[in-house]
Order: sequence, then C-alpha cells, then structure tokens
Amino acid sequence: MTLQVDPRTMLNKLAFGPGATELHEIAKSGCETWLMQQLRPPAQDDCAARIAASKLHLKYVSKTPEAAVDEDRSLGVVAEPIDQHWKTLDKAVPFQERAFLRATVAAATLIRAVHSRWQLREVMADFWHNHFNVNAAGDGTVAAALPAYDRDVIRKHALGNFREFLEAVASSAAMQVYLNNRSSRGGAANENYARELFELHTLGRPAYLNALYNRWRDVPGALAGHPEGYIDQDVYEAARAFTGWTIEDGAGIGMGRKLPATGKFTYVEIWHDNYQKRVLAGEFDPYQPPLADGRRVLDLVADHPATARYICGKLCRRLVSDNPDAAVLAAAEHAWTENRRKPDQIARTVEAVVRTDAFRRSSGAKVKRPFELYASFARASGIDIVPTPPLIGVLDGSGQRLFGWGPPTGHPDENDYWLSSNMMRQRWGLLLGLSDDAWKAGASQAAPAIAEARTSEQAADAAHRRLLGIEAPPKIVHAVVEGIGLKPGMPFDTRRDALPLARRMLAYCAMTPAFQTR
Amino acid sequence: MLTRRHLLAASTALSVAPGVRAFAAPRDPTPAGPILVSLFLRGGMDSLGVVAPVDERNYTADRPPEMRLLADGDKPALRLEGAPAGLDFRLHPEMGALHDLYRDRRIALVHASGLDNGTRSHFGAQELIERGIANPDQITQAKGGWLARWLAAAGSGNAPAFAAIPGVPEELAEHADTICAADLRGGMNLPGGKQAANVLKRLYGGASAVDAAARRTLQGIDLIDTRLRQPDGKVMPYQPAGGAVYEETEIGHGLASVARVIRTELGIRAFAVDMGGWDTHENQPPRLANLVGQLSRALGAFHADLHDRLDRIVLVVMSEFGRRLRSNKSNGTDHGHAGLTIVSAPHLVGGRIHGAWPGLSSDKLDNAVDLAMTTDIRSILAELMAGPLATPHAPAAVFPGFNPQHVGLLAT
Repeated sequence: MTLQVDPRTMLNKLAFGPGATELHEIAKSGCETWLMQQLRPPAQDDCAARIAASKLHLKYVSKTPEAAVDEDRSLGVVAEPIDQHWKTLDKAVPFQERAFLRATVAAATLIRAVHSRWQLREVMADFWHNHFNVNAAGDGTVAAALPAYDRDVIRKHALGNFREFLEAVASSAAMQVYLNNRSSRGGAANENYARELFELHTLGRPAYLNALYNRWRDVPGALAGHPEGYIDQDVYEAARAFTGWTIEDGAGIGMGRKLPATGKFTYVEIWHDNYQKRVLAGEFDPYQPPLADGRRVLDLVADHPATARYICGKLCRRLVSDNPDAAVLAAAEHAWTENRRKPDQIARTVEAVVRTDAFRRSSGAKVKRPFELYASFARASGIDIVPTPPLIGVLDGSGQRLFGWGPPTGHPDENDYWLSSNMMRQRWGLLLGLSDDAWKAGASQAAPAIAEARTSEQAADAAHRRLLGIEAPPKIVHAVVEGIGLKPGMPFDTRRDALPLARRMLAYCAMTPAFQTR
Repeated sequence: MLTRRHLLAASTALSVAPGVRAFAAPRDPTPAGPILVSLFLRGGMDSLGVVAPVDERNYTADRPPEMRLLADGDKPALRLEGAPAGLDFRLHPEMGALHDLYRDRRIALVHASGLDNGTRSHFGAQELIERGIANPDQITQAKGGWLARWLAAAGSGNAPAFAAIPGVPEELAEHADTICAADLRGGMNLPGGKQAANVLKRLYGGASAVDAAARRTLQGIDLIDTRLRQPDGKVMPYQPAGGAVYEETEIGHGLASVARVIRTELGIRAFAVDMGGWDTHENQPPRLANLVGQLSRALGAFHADLHDRLDRIVLVVMSEFGRRLRSNKSNGTDHGHAGLTIVSAPHLVGGRIHGAWPGLSSDKLDNAVDLAMTTDIRSILAELMAGPLATPHAPAAVFPGFNPQHVGLLAT
C-alpha cells in the first residue's frame, strides 16, 4: 500500500524538519518514493566536500606542554583514520587538541543535520549515538576515538544489521575506553561494559530479573535454554567472555613488550579468561578460539526477544511518541525479528514503523530536543550553517551536549525532561541567538523577504508560514506584533529596523508549541 | 497553604520594573517551615572507599592498599568516633570538612543503608530510590517522586520546589512546579530582554504541555531572577556568609545555588541537587579522592554559609548503591549493594555511625559479594520527616505500605 502521510509529519519525524528541497521532492514524486530512497542511502557522505571546506576556530594557550594556537582548522580532519587522531594522546600534545576533535565531530554533525540529503540516516545516527552513548567531553581518549566511532560504527550501521552493529560497537575504541573493557582482565573482570551491554544496548532494564532470581537456573525458561531475562550471574560471565577484547593503546603485555598505540581493536589472549562460562543459559566450553566467547555473547543478546522489544520500544518512542500503541510496537518487533539476518534489518524496521496508523497520527507528539530545534530552525529559516565555537557552546549548554552526555543512557527521550524551566529558557535563548546571528553561525535567508511585508501582521504571518507552512493563527499574530510593541496595520517594510524585527519574528514563531514539537 | 500564586501576589507590586524589585528582596515573609535538601550522588558511591573499618580482615584481604582506607601512611584516613562493633571506622582523608561537621555532631552517617531491592542497575536503583519504592510494581500505589509526595504531605503540593539540576529529577516527578537552574551565577534571566518577555507573556495561552511549561518558566523567572539582580539589572555576585567558599565544581555551583535560593526566603521547602561521576569501574583511587574532596568541601561551605538557618535545614546525601567489596583488575570497583547515607539535621544524634553493621565476611555479604543492606533509606527519610521536618503524618503518605524501622537518628 502506498504511504499516506502528511509530508510535514514525515519530515518532522524522519528528517530534521521540513526543508525546501525535501518538500519539493515529495510534492513531485510522493512520500513513498522519498521514504524508499531514504531507507537505502549511498555509503558515501554527501556532505563530505562541504565539511572539508568548513572551518572551526581553535584557540588556546597551553602551559604544559608550551603551545599557543589561534587559527581556523578544516573540519576535514573527521575523515582521517583513528591512528591519526590517536596521536593527540601523546603527552607532548595539549589536551585542547583532543577536546577539539569532539567539537569537529559535533560541527560536522550540525552541517549534515541541516544540509544532508540523507536526512533519515542523520536522524538514525542521532538515535544510535544516544543508544550507544559515549562521553567524549569527559574523556580525551574517547574524544580521540570519536571521529572513527561516528563514521565507521554509528553512521555505517545506522540503517544496517543490528548484530553487525553490535560487534562494531563492542570492538570500537570509543566504547572500549568509555565502558572500560580495554582494562578488563581475566581473574577479576571489569563488569562495566557487560552490564550496560545487557541493560542499555540489548535486552534492556525490563529484562533484568535480579531482584527476583539469584541463580541462573531459576530464571523462567532457563532450563529449556531460553531464559526470559538476565541476572547478575549473566553479567559476571559475560564480563569474563569479553576479557582480552581491547585496543592498541600502548599498554604493557608482559615480558617488557607493549601494544602499539594506534587505537585499533586487538585481542590479547593472555588477558582472556579461558575457562567455561554460562551466559543466558548457554554453556560455553573452555578454551574457545580467539574472540569466540565474546562473539557468542553478542549472538545471544542480539537474538533475544527482549532485545527486539526493548530497542523497538525505544525506536517507536523516538519516531512516534512517548507512549506508542501496541500495534506499532508489534509491527516494529515483527520486522526486527523477521529480518534479523538481513543486512538492512534496521531500515526494514523503520519502514514498518512508518507504515503504521500510529506514525501517521503522531504529528506534534514529541517535544524537539535542542539539537532538533536548532537544525529544524536552520532548515526552515534558510540558515546556511557556519559552525562556530560559541554555537557549539550554546548547544552544549542547552542540555543536549552532542557526544558529551555522561551516563551511558544517552540523552533522555521523554517530553517532560525537555520542558523544565531551565530547558525552556535554553530553548528560547537558542532561537533568539540564532535569529540574531549572535554566534556568527549563519544568518537567516528567509528574513529579508519577511522584512518586505507591508504591515506588521503580514510580516508575522510570513514568518509563521515560512516555519510551519500555514497561515498564522490570529492569536499568534497578536502576541508577536503587540509583544514587540508594533501597532496593527502599521507599515512594516519602510521601517529602518524591519530586518532585525523580521529575524525576531522568525524566532518568536519558532517558540510556538507547533514549532517546538515534531 | 503556600502556593506560587500567593508568592506572586506578595510581589506583584514590584513585578513591573525589574530594577525596582531588586531593592525589595528579602522582605519578610511567610514564616518558613523546615527545608529539605536531597543530594544525589549519581553513579554509585564506593561507600567502602569512603567510610570503612580499616582493621577489618576481610576489608584488608579483599582490596589492595590503594583501593582502601588506611590507618597509617602519608595520608591516614580520619578516625570516626561513635562507630559500631569496636571496629576502627575511618573517613576518607580528603573529607576533612565533613569530618569537622561529624565531630560537631551536625551530621550522622548511616552505613549499610540503601535500597531494599537486589538491582545493580544504576538507572533501576536510582529510579526506585527517587520514587521511594522498593519494587517497580509499587509505582501505581505511590505516584511521582518521594520528594514531591513529601511536599504534598507537608501542605506544599502546589508550592515551587527548586532543583539545581538541568532537568526535573525523578525525586520531584509529578510535582506541579519545579524550578530548575543548575547554576545561578548568571541569574535566571529571560533571554531577549523586555521585548521577548512581552511576546512570550502573550504567546502561551494554550493547553499544550509546551504552553504550560512556558507559563511555569515565566513565573519561575519572575520569582527568582529579580531577586538576584542589582538596581542596574546586573546579577549580584553571591556573597556567602560565614566565610564560606564554594568551589567551581558541579557540586559547588549546585549547593551555592541552593543556598542562595534558601536565603531569598521565598518559602521554597524542597531542594534537589546532583553530583555525578561516581561510577568508578576503573582507576578509582585518584578519581574517588577528587570526588569526595569536592563533596566534602562543598558541604563544609554550605553549612558555614547557612549557619544562621541550620536549625531548620535537613540535608540527606544518598547514592543508588555502594560498590563491590572486592576490587577488579582495572583498579576499580563494580556495582554493589548497600551504601552510605549522610544526614545533616538539627536535633540529630550526630557524630555517630548509625545502623547495624552487617560485617564483610562472605557469609554476611549480599549474594556473597556485596555489603548487605541493614537500613532502608526510607526509614532514614521517615525519621527525618517525623522529627526535624515537623511532618509527622508524612511518612505514611510518602511511603504507603512501608513500615519504617527505628534508626535512632534523633535525640529523644
């Protein structure tokens, strides 16, 4: 059946808001065609040239080691391999160089969110970055690993196969460092990664049955080989399975030998706990080949029905609403499970979600997070983004610090969280700063046309139409016109301050509930 | 009942010009009831690295010297009188300020305290503690966060609460009115000045969640921001009393913001503060030393600053769980069970470690690996509600179906 969805609903959910290009494409060839193309984007980054041509300013003075930098740097650095970035971990390199790598990935992400043709991949990359959260703001080593993580792990698999994705994450330097598996050793393994693998990456907290059962055999279904959930014993055993999975970070491996320092994945046999294990009621024989124990854990968790339920629930909360109905959840789980051996499992699951009634009726159900608010405003008001350090700083302060969220949960995805008084102030500040171009991050190309409106009401209406595609309700026109202190019917285009006022009108129209939600 | 409507009515005359209002601050007020500050250490504080019996043989056997408190060496841990079971309990050497408060009997410690549920999940444990329940299925009996329910039981269900946290914490879930501002040094202003204020006042008349949030936010700004400003509109730098110095840290900013709002005497009774970074699976010794030092100094500053109001301030420091007795090979500790609760309140039996000490031999440990829980954190909160918080009927309403045990925190 051909997809019947309002194009704006679709672009608010599967893109960073409607942009002129997408609206035009959909008007020409329909939602169905647009969706099918978006589900299968080409591997290459269509914004690569734009990113390479963009610059971000870096300025610092370092005492240890002595250095002073004050220059524009190309964002093209994000395309370099990890061993290049790993060099910033040398003691002779100031920490600001590592921190800058997070800023460059954030800047490239903003550029893609606004300009990439492959919007759905950007939306899904954001989803997975939160699902497989790492904190590059709190840890320079994670920052050095971030460009490769973003490119070779998250973006590469964002619409692909979950089991492959999971192994790419498990063996990535970013996750190895962030959840400490690189320092885990047989004998007293570090449980951090194994625990979050179960709780956050796969089966999910609802399947954590530790308060109910202390022994693996007591978990319902365990004796038949299909435990309903997991307990601490599974976490302990899985942690053992991942010992030896590490990265080339220069650590000593005995006899005076050391691993090279490249950030690449490696396996160190002498760190692996080789004895038999039991994970999710599956018995692992001792002395398996290299990596086999960890891979088997990944097979077990990726295939577990709780994983389908948990991830599809999150996906529906992202793409539909905070409380998705049973039908959309079932459709997503069905597609996820049926296609779990397919290379485009995730794309097929997204497609199943989009083809539900719940999706069609979900317009306005989600409060935009600050990154979405930023990107959708830039797209709707025609801002050709220039990433600047103050812009990234303001976004960081808005509560959504890209690649810099501390706990492994990723940013919250419930409306209420983003509506606290602090968040509201940040949202307003973000829009005003953007429309005033306070951070030299690109001026609105829509504002000059709005400034040519004959009356103030017409100007407010033009701003509203530009952002939301519909005539402004009279209440909003009044709020904007009177709030600014203009008289109804007053000539607008002849005012000397018509342009700055037009920009402000865009910001105020973006503060309406209709634009704050998606 | 004190509601924001009353607070606003009391200050309407001044709400016209922000510059004028600043002169008016602190006019006095509605007699304020006792204040409750909830400080949450996110990530699971390694209680056995912070307060522990240094001479206990399981403790010395299960952790290498760098992972535990020591009685001697360059930086011996600080001795705690009033410890249970004839053991040499000590406090982390970086916690001098907290040690002083303990010796002054202003604070008490409850070891082996925490959540009555076997979860080792950060997010599961945090949610249960913040909701004030032991099992997820109780969520239907007890609506919202425990701090929100306490406010309701205290007759302040519609009064604002203040969270020095970017988003509303679970403790205050479903409370009608929580003002959030992680750091008040820049004020709590409305961006865009007067023009934006005039537009926003008119823009949000609808019934949607965004409309309601916007209206609440505008009221919160009205209430707090104007009291932080000088006649020229600039934010007054905060001048803490008692020679207190707050550091430039998350907890320093958080407690300074709380103290500043307490000093405005707006009748706000519930405060929430967070401090993150306690999930020390790896490289724990320097990280923990840094964290406990920051926490201790911030608590020291807070008590010095509010010295003239301590008779009506109750502060509780909690974390979602303690950590494993046996350390891992990353020089860290993994998720454990019972932890440590720090209480500051008037009329306290302070300078004591309360709660039964379960011991550290493997037969006494929870699941043979983690410190067992002997005091439910809700018993601690219930005792404080009935005592210094002067809400004797609150515990039954805040923790329905829960039977608090006697902890003995209060002088009888």
